[in-house]
Amino acid sequence: MRSGRPLWISSLVAGVAAATAGAAEPIRYGRDVLPILSAKCFACHGPDEEGRQADLRLDLEETAKADRDAGPAILSGRPDESLLLERITSPDPDLVMPPGDSHKPLTAEQVSLLRRWIAEGAAWGRHWSFEPVVRPELPAAPRGAAIRSPIDAFVAARLAEHGLSLQPPADPHTLLRRLSLDLIGLPPSPEAAAAFAADPSAAAYEQQVDALLEAPQFGEHWARMWLDLARYADTKGYEKDLGRTMWPYRDWVVEAINADLPLDRFTEEQLAGDLLPDAARQQLVATAFHRNTMSNDEGGTDDEEFRVAAVKDRIDTTVQVWMGLTMGCAKCHTHKYDPISHHDYYAFYALFNQTEDADRSDDAPRLDLVSAEQQAEWDRLRSAYESAAAAVKAGEQESQPESETPAAGDQLAAVREREATAKKRLQEFESGLVRLPVMRELPADKRRVTRIHNRGNFLDPGAEVEPAVLAAFGGLPDGASPNRLGVARWLTSPDNPLTPRVWANRIWARLFGTGIVETEEDFGALGSPPSHPELLDWLAADYRDGGWSLKRLIKTIVISDTYRQRSDVTPALVAADPRNLLLSRGSRFRLPAETIRDQALAVSGLLSVKMGGPPVMPPQPAGLWRSTYNTKTWVDATGEDRFRRGLYTYLKRTTPYPSFTTFDAGSGEICQIRRIRTNTPLQALVVLNDPVYLEAAGALAGRMATDAAGRPLTDPAAIAARGLALALIRPLRADEADPLVRLERDARSRFAADPDAADALIAAASAAVPAGVPSAELAARVVVASAILNLDEFLTRN
Amino acid sequence: MHDWNQLGPGLEHARAVTRRHFFRAGGLGFGAIALDALLARDGRTADVPPATANRLAARPPMIPAKATRVIYIHLAGSPSQIDLFERKPELAKVSGRDCPQSFLEGKRFAFIKGVPKMLGSQFAYRQQGETGQWLSELLPHFAGVVDKTCVIRTVHTDQFNHAPAQLFVQTGTPRLGNASLGSWVTYGLGSENENLPGFVVLLSGGKTPDAGKSLWGAGFLPSVYQGVQCRTTGDPVLYLGDPPGIDRGLRRRMLDALAEMNAAEHAATGDPETLTRIAQYELGYRMQMAVPEVMDLSREPRHVLELYGARPGAVSEAERTTTADVRTLYKGSDPTFANNCLLARRLIEHGVRFVQLYDWGWDHHGSSPGESIDETLPIKCLQTDRAVAGLLTDLEQRGLLEETLVVWGGEFGRTPMLQNNVNSEPKKGFVGRDHHPFAFTMWLAGGGIKPGLAWGQTDEFGYYPVENPVSIRELQATILHLFGLDPLRFSFPYQGLDQRLIGPTNEGRPVTGILA
Repeated sequence: MRSGRPLWISSLVAGVAAATAGAAEPIRYGRDVLPILSAKCFACHGPDEEGRQADLRLDLEETAKADRDAGPAILSGRPDESLLLERITSPDPDLVMPPGDSHKPLTAEQVSLLRRWIAEGAAWGRHWSFEPVVRPELPAAPRGAAIRSPIDAFVAARLAEHGLSLQPPADPHTLLRRLSLDLIGLPPSPEAAAAFAADPSAAAYEQQVDALLEAPQFGEHWARMWLDLARYADTKGYEKDLGRTMWPYRDWVVEAINADLPLDRFTEEQLAGDLLPDAARQQLVATAFHRNTMSNDEGGTDDEEFRVAAVKDRIDTTVQVWMGLTMGCAKCHTHKYDPISHHDYYAFYALFNQTEDADRSDDAPRLDLVSAEQQAEWDRLRSAYESAAAAVKAGEQESQPESETPAAGDQLAAVREREATAKKRLQEFESGLVRLPVMRELPADKRRVTRIHNRGNFLDPGAEVEPAVLAAFGGLPDGASPNRLGVARWLTSPDNPLTPRVWANRIWARLFGTGIVETEEDFGALGSPPSHPELLDWLAADYRDGGWSLKRLIKTIVISDTYRQRSDVTPALVAADPRNLLLSRGSRFRLPAETIRDQALAVSGLLSVKMGGPPVMPPQPAGLWRSTYNTKTWVDATGEDRFRRGLYTYLKRTTPYPSFTTFDAGSGEICQIRRIRTNTPLQALVVLNDPVYLEAAGALAGRMATDAAGRPLTDPAAIAARGLALALIRPLRADEADPLVRLERDARSRFAADPDAADALIAAASAAVPAGVPSAELAARVVVASAILNLDEFLTRN
Repeated sequence: MHDWNQLGPGLEHARAVTRRHFFRAGGLGFGAIALDALLARDGRTADVPPATANRLAARPPMIPAKATRVIYIHLAGSPSQIDLFERKPELAKVSGRDCPQSFLEGKRFAFIKGVPKMLGSQFAYRQQGETGQWLSELLPHFAGVVDKTCVIRTVHTDQFNHAPAQLFVQTGTPRLGNASLGSWVTYGLGSENENLPGFVVLLSGGKTPDAGKSLWGAGFLPSVYQGVQCRTTGDPVLYLGDPPGIDRGLRRRMLDALAEMNAAEHAATGDPETLTRIAQYELGYRMQMAVPEVMDLSREPRHVLELYGARPGAVSEAERTTTADVRTLYKGSDPTFANNCLLARRLIEHGVRFVQLYDWGWDHHGSSPGESIDETLPIKCLQTDRAVAGLLTDLEQRGLLEETLVVWGGEFGRTPMLQNNVNSEPKKGFVGRDHHPFAFTMWLAGGGIKPGLAWGQTDEFGYYPVENPVSIRELQATILHLFGLDPLRFSFPYQGLDQRLIGPTNEGRPVTGILA
């Protein structure tokens, strides 16, 4: 079979991953039947009228069971009289469904499942994720298992079905490193790890969790997660890709996360801060969220075309980020699988189609983020310019050319010069101001009329539509207006079935490497089913009913035994749970791009903890920025700005910082729901050769030459072991550093024979040269430090 | 059941690969023996299914294939088909007259305002080759190889701005987020050389093409399929060079230590990703040798260099300057494009699947002598004509053309009207044409394409196709088809849909008339 959807999904669904009907258990429509109908039938017999064949609609119970000339497609309880079954089992290649040229044949299991479902009465239902979120009952604890948290109850129950149980917790060093990397994106200090190892009690662990949640670096780390979704970047995109001041919004996100702004307010302020009564400045800053859309400054573009593209991007991003649904299809036609019609799309579009921004080159409307002093200075410069301009005008009117005397001419020239100077000063001042693009609603007399775009083409308008939220997911909450603010309230209303599931799943995925629903970007009919449906609903309900607190949700998860399990992979575990979908062990995954860099800077002692402000340009290879009609250049930062967290690295959309994209970071061009992890040779080259990692090795080479008390070490073996312990933050196994010791010895003898090479490496690594240390020895330490930073364990969160 | 279908997102762990397979797929060359010895002590390894499915391993096509490699030459900015391929005597007759309203009504142009004047070719045409195709005097070298190619005069697109039009040609959508053609082909077929990237991008003309790196991005495909830009100045691949003071021997020594420690980690934890990491470090090491070797043009004999007009080591004016003044970028004899053509041959000869060349500087609006049909286009042709002809000749002589598809074209065409900037009459240095999406010329050669063919016809002014129009989707479908990838079925599951290069509709069908 060739549908592009791999076979393994079906075996996975039926087997290990999701709970599916066993032989005895009744078939459930949402879980068992709908996925088959969606994937195999709805393209021609689903919601989309234009693509519908034989006037048969199978997505609605009424039409699927309606009597037709040849009999009903589905006759409850009578599989043999149901036309559907007749057609899917037909031996005639001209009659069999799905037709051969669709390349979507049904498997024998799928056919027998449909038969059983009809025989059992063909009970209807909805797709699982569209059902209301109800907090499920906790399963009983498996015999002999002590259950710490509700999460563990669900996970242990599933494990018990497979004869498995939770693994013991990871050792304290590993656990604290895991927790710290997950919560703040940085490793713990060796001292903190040692202290925790001395008292790894539940109370001590909880204290660590609380402390990390309160650390300012928590907001920096989780802001990165959000900025991928918000398609944050420091440039405008497309051809010229000119710079754009967006960093105040990035800082808002960091602060909002640190302040644990509840999701409903986090949503409201970003989608519609400008529509809140008496909106505070920070609430206006938040609306820059939807000004992260690209704008095209290319010559000869139709601004309306790119304004429309930006509005559509806002629709797609909003629905995908909060509800995990793909709207893209409905731009051109009614969605074939999910209940979103062509009309629904443009009704939703109408809610976002009333803002002032219009792909203008100055990014208007903007919010001027000026201090009182700046405002005073600005007013002064502006009035100086205005009065000079008025003087010029007056002078020009007085001195008509025919009557102009030389003296009057000189005077006019002087006034003009004064005007030019004032103008230049004003412009210079304004160019130094922080002016953030924000959302602003059009005044009542300038509202746009929204029409359907036929086949997605804005030049081919169809019927007028009234603004409305997506009909299949309930109307606006009571009292909410049909505008962006109403959308925000609808997204986070207690009745929205998707928002809490999508968000709980997203946070889970960041902490476990994979979501309970693996396709974080798709909770629709064709998305992958949840591995632990009840657990997901419990988390979703707890998050929503507990006040939408991100910190509370994270704490709930990381405090569980499930999270704390050891992550070693044994053959038995692999046989029972190859992809760890049952959570039969702790998870292991390669760290995200920014964390890899931040961690290397942290353990080498170089990391700057400076927060916020304009983006910085750490060294990158020369000659990368070559956008057309754009003269801005990358200038390698000096001093502290070389070593800021990755969050602050300037992100140019058409040429993102290369070592981050090598580790799967995005470009900020569109909403990136998750980064698909890869393992490539280019990643090896980055950590081996990128100057930032070399400088980190240089600094680590210095740091590892003293012990924990700051006393200098001289024994090469002790130095190598100290470096390893500083990076991995755990006690070493016996002889573990031996390969490094041998490497150091070989490197030292090479450098002794080639002192120029030693000096070259020391200089390139900016390594501090301590008195009395021969350069061959120092260079060898740099090599050892570089090897440490390249260790798989260092790059992995385990 | 085809192999690439096994590569859905997050599938790393789903494939059980034995250790033996891992050594083959991951290609451990080095101290494989040392590592083997280490792992032998670890009795579990053979039982653990590592996540080492080598996503770049070569895979068989879905249907019989004619082409196994591609060199795609994209002229960013878009050359004028009227001045290169489209001889239009009727257009010449009306040159200087007002453009008929019927050509303007309901149209959006990038820059043309009001009623422009028609503009005939600025250059003379001659019949060339045994097939007697009309070609402009600007392509004397191409004239010698035209019989090897299939010139399509009727390509059309629905985008008229550079960045969206480039994205449409290269990724199948004018917006961002989709996978590029090169990524799709590499995803479908893998790479035949494990020491080199499967998809290589080479730039010339001094600027990144308008739509930036997304043109060779992997979109929703795993990032391992994204194009790797190889550069002719600095490191040929970013971060390829060892730091100062670390020679090959020391690097080798360091990797041995790393492998030993990583193997010990694997022994302790059993994580198959660790084995992949070891393999990728080894591959990186071999790339450090293989890439500079293949990128070293000085290994080519003089007659080959001359065939292309290549000059090893030459750094073009455009590479030296950071100015945005397009005139400095265009002027001078810049060998970068010729060097890239020769590199392209070397890369595909070494098993690289997809080589993409972007040459910037073809956007000849006539707003200045540095971007004009009359002054700049001849310079761009001088920089490229010989190299392109040399490439086809060289490929054929080496027997590579049969399986190598060569594609040449921009993102749209140029209007048969004068762009009325400040002058309503053609003036020296200011003769320009606006963007024209309705009909333009591309050519294909080798890799299963019928040679010596001129496909499609436009009307007497070159405005619209009148026979055999070819849409961008059809062009993309044709390319996939040549590689044995059924354009309708070749897909990747993302956002709940089977995403395809040719988009959700089935309009993209191969153009069978041009297949050999």
